[in-house]
Amino acid sequence: MFEQIHEQTLLLLPFGDIVHYLSGYTVILAAFAVMFLLLALVSLPERPIDIVFGTDGYYIKEIPVDIMKFQRFMALACGISTIGAITTGDIFNFTLFAIFIGILNIGIVAAVENKHVLDAAFSYGLVVMMATIPLFAGAATIIATCGTLSIGELVDTDATPLIAKLLILIGVFGEGMAPFYIGKTEITRAPGAPYILMIHVSSLLLFLRTIEIFLTV
Amino acid sequence: MIEIPLAMPQIYTIGIAIAFFTIIIAFSSILQEKDDIHKMIIIDLVEITGLVVIALIATDLAEALILPGLVVGIAEIMAISELWLAKENLQQKHSAKKLDIEVMKTAPPIIGAMLTTYGIFLTGFSGGLIAALGLMIYFFGKNVDVPFAKIENAAGYAWALWIIAFLIFMFIPSQWFLATMLAAVGIMLKVMAKMSLVGTMRGAE
Repeated sequence: MFEQIHEQTLLLLPFGDIVHYLSGYTVILAAFAVMFLLLALVSLPERPIDIVFGTDGYYIKEIPVDIMKFQRFMALACGISTIGAITTGDIFNFTLFAIFIGILNIGIVAAVENKHVLDAAFSYGLVVMMATIPLFAGAATIIATCGTLSIGELVDTDATPLIAKLLILIGVFGEGMAPFYIGKTEITRAPGAPYILMIHVSSLLLFLRTIEIFLTV
Repeated sequence: MIEIPLAMPQIYTIGIAIAFFTIIIAFSSILQEKDDIHKMIIIDLVEITGLVVIALIATDLAEALILPGLVVGIAEIMAISELWLAKENLQQKHSAKKLDIEVMKTAPPIIGAMLTTYGIFLTGFSGGLIAALGLMIYFFGKNVDVPFAKIENAAGYAWALWIIAFLIFMFIPSQWFLATMLAAVGIMLKVMAKMSLVGTMRGAE
């Protein structure tokens, strides 16, 4: 078990046949996620300032405390599920964390009262809903063919069907949209910088972890 | 007697083909639909047909993925419909007009109490469902304030009961009967709290 990742495994945390692990690659991703989690925990949201042309006047967008608290909670939950997706050793848990990240990404911007942001979040939410099924279908195909969902065991069997990997990849595209940030540009008009950043960080890290899983399994 | 001349594997293959066909139909309808709320409903439909595919993979373990699929789907549709309400500015802000129906004051507590007692007597998942139905009928009546916070508390304690039962199963297996009873009561309370809360949600407070 773990021939490929054993060489550079830094941490193993076995729960029965499911072994959570950190390799040299994922430890960097996890560190990145922890860094942004702490950033979201300690910092206050930035306030966008618009300078009025021709004068020296400016508008400042205040963020109400209740919205700030909600965004912070969602961002922290998003960071924690990102760390979960990075460290987990189980395909099913990975799909669940991916779906969490999808829902929480909408949650971060859901309280913002800006029509463009809400429009974008709604369309993105529809994609998230659609992406749930390929993720679960991929996990179901893996367990139907290989009889296990543990990444460590799947390395041994070396029989993960390509179609399952593709299904999970489509699902991750939908949840995180990692290479296709363009679909979420409108969302980032929402004020509240360190929390909004968590949307990008989580989808990027989720995608990088997916690559790791596909190269390992 | 009608005999179907097909072996089970063939039936599953045909079923998967039909399910994929329905998925294609559902997706093509998304392309044509322009209205947001209709899109959302159609996507829910796509999700259900996707779950049919998972069901037709036909391993017990794979089928265990259907339940999380359903739960996650419901959570997502609730979140996104809230978002849609906020987006379209449709949250109810003014209070409703009142009808004076006498029977709404008397009947719901009686029926609710009967159903809840029967549910508690049944315990387990189905008992929780029936008790939740009783509570919902009770909350449906007039002059009732729904104690949301208390119900949420009860759900929390039920969860704790469930975990305790789980730990007993793990560490003191000889006490399995106690653990079963704890788990049954726990899941009854949990389902009851969840269902009655979902059933009585009346928009943003």
